[in-house]
Amino acid sequence: MSKIKGAVVVDVNRCKGCNLCVVACPTQTLALTTNEVNHKGYAYSYMAQPDACIGCSSCAIVCPDGCISVYKTPRPAARPAAAACDAPVAQHEPEKVPSVPADAEEGEVLLMKGNEAIAHAAIRCGCDGYFGYPITPQSEVLETLSELKPWETTGMVVLQAESEVASINMLYGGGGTGKRVMTSSSSVGIALMQEGISYMAGAEVPGVIVNVQRGGPGLGTIQPSQSDYNQATRGGGNGDYNLIVLAPNSVQEMADFVDLAFTLAFKYRNPTLILSDGVIGQMMEKVVLPPYKPRRTEEEIAAECPWAANGHGLEKRGVNVITSLELQSVEMEKRNLHLQAKYKEIAENEVRYETTDCEDADYLIVAFGSAARISQKAMSVARQQGLKVGLFRPITLWPFPTKEIHAMAAGKKGVLAVEINAGQMVFDVRAAVAGQAPVAHFGRLGGIVPSPDEIVEALISSFCH
Amino acid sequence: MQQEIIISGFGGQGVLSMGKILAYAGLMEGKEVTWMPAYGPEQRGGTANVTVIVSDEKISSPILSTYDTAIVLNQPSLDKFQPLVKPGGTLIYDSFGILDKPTRTDIDAYHIHAMETAAEMKLMKCFNMFVLGGLLKIHPIVSLESVMKALKKTLPERHHKLLPMNEQAILKGMEIIARQEG
Repeated sequence: MSKIKGAVVVDVNRCKGCNLCVVACPTQTLALTTNEVNHKGYAYSYMAQPDACIGCSSCAIVCPDGCISVYKTPRPAARPAAAACDAPVAQHEPEKVPSVPADAEEGEVLLMKGNEAIAHAAIRCGCDGYFGYPITPQSEVLETLSELKPWETTGMVVLQAESEVASINMLYGGGGTGKRVMTSSSSVGIALMQEGISYMAGAEVPGVIVNVQRGGPGLGTIQPSQSDYNQATRGGGNGDYNLIVLAPNSVQEMADFVDLAFTLAFKYRNPTLILSDGVIGQMMEKVVLPPYKPRRTEEEIAAECPWAANGHGLEKRGVNVITSLELQSVEMEKRNLHLQAKYKEIAENEVRYETTDCEDADYLIVAFGSAARISQKAMSVARQQGLKVGLFRPITLWPFPTKEIHAMAAGKKGVLAVEINAGQMVFDVRAAVAGQAPVAHFGRLGGIVPSPDEIVEALISSFCH
Repeated sequence: MQQEIIISGFGGQGVLSMGKILAYAGLMEGKEVTWMPAYGPEQRGGTANVTVIVSDEKISSPILSTYDTAIVLNQPSLDKFQPLVKPGGTLIYDSFGILDKPTRTDIDAYHIHAMETAAEMKLMKCFNMFVLGGLLKIHPIVSLESVMKALKKTLPERHHKLLPMNEQAILKGMEIIARQEG
């Protein structure tokens, strides 16, 4: 027993219950309250084992809010060691409500978060590997996968990488062997991945990336946003390339788009991005999970991906090289032209969109993802006020439904791009409308999601003078 | 018909799970539902809230600016959501810890002594079910039967022995909810 006896005094009402002091304490002196909260409603730190304190001040050093003071006094000699020091720390079994009830039947309507639906869909569409790093608001993807333990059933690998940079390079490696691999993150994490994504596009490596967007720039906020539109649709990293970008607007689409993303990624040997946001990721809604599809066998992978560097080259075929590097300018231009031809083909074949009441409308709202959900409500509010509004929802953001919006905009009195950003998609909308009607933008920033009423007001103030 | 509900209280009071059980019960009855939480650091204390919509038709926006019903379980929630109840809407509050009572006269305000009753009955863990019972008394959005089915779906099997306790809490909640006087 230490010669010093310490006493920890916590400024209870400033404590936010972060638990750092409890972890830092070498003698398990501190604990968080279990049946009391402070004025702010947080469980706070207190001396659960006062005799154990040795006055080391570790707690005060780690406290981010400086609400701990430590007092020291010499410990009376020949005092028997407190048995409490060795008492095991009380541990509570974490109780988590499973996202799928054990007795759920195939094809049953379930209630789950968009992020959880992504995880279930990945296992069900024969995904071979998931590599990710937790970040709000998408952490449930990795959490759900870890809970479902697909490595015990389908053999799918789930790995928490050390960073987003590691995740995307694991994707490059896995995709290069022809495996169905995916990662997910949120805005800041996706920004970190851009180098790897550009390499994948350059080396034509298929893979699926999920971005559950939050507000930026920088660390920004954990609240929802759509401010990665430009990053997603313009490639994002260096060089001339495009990702196929799908924008789900419901939990059902979160589930359905995983398999679609893999199909497109392998059809065109190109990374595919699912561009979601905090609203769709965190919201719970009805969902019917897609039917179960087994993982492909090595033979099936070899047949589908003759380009794959899967280690069977020497005896069966020539050597396959996966690289984005080409130092000969002539060759590199050829490769770029090949990529551009591929993007043209994708643009011609893979445009997806949805229209609601556009034909008889005087005004058009163009919105994707969660903004489209809110705009749909705005549309019905506007129609009640006698404004004929239609909704055009791009499902693929790249390729963008330029021709379709152009055709739809003819004769309209105004086109409003509603996005949860400062105005990114509006440039594509303006190019598509090409002067046939006035185009305006409405959005909120910083993690604030616009309300239906605000959208109607913006429509009126932009076009109805 | 569409019911737009906000439930708000301290993190840990069971606000999110109460919303989830309500949404699941709606789903059991074949209705459309959405559940949209405040997913910030609130889960570890502070004030958490969840928006639940139960509707007969497809739901467009999961995020709302006004609500048919607000259930508030602490003072900050009352201050925040009282102004956002639609005129003619409903406000339900647990009187425990509420210093400033609701003041609006164009809405129906109800109080429920859920915290005290739960403590008396030694059913603190079912606190949120008392409140849910109160809500269902005022607005029978879903049947008790569906709620019990939803509980069965959302609770892990090892906790199924707690189902009768929850039912007791819901029934008691239906009894103790009362219109705010004056």
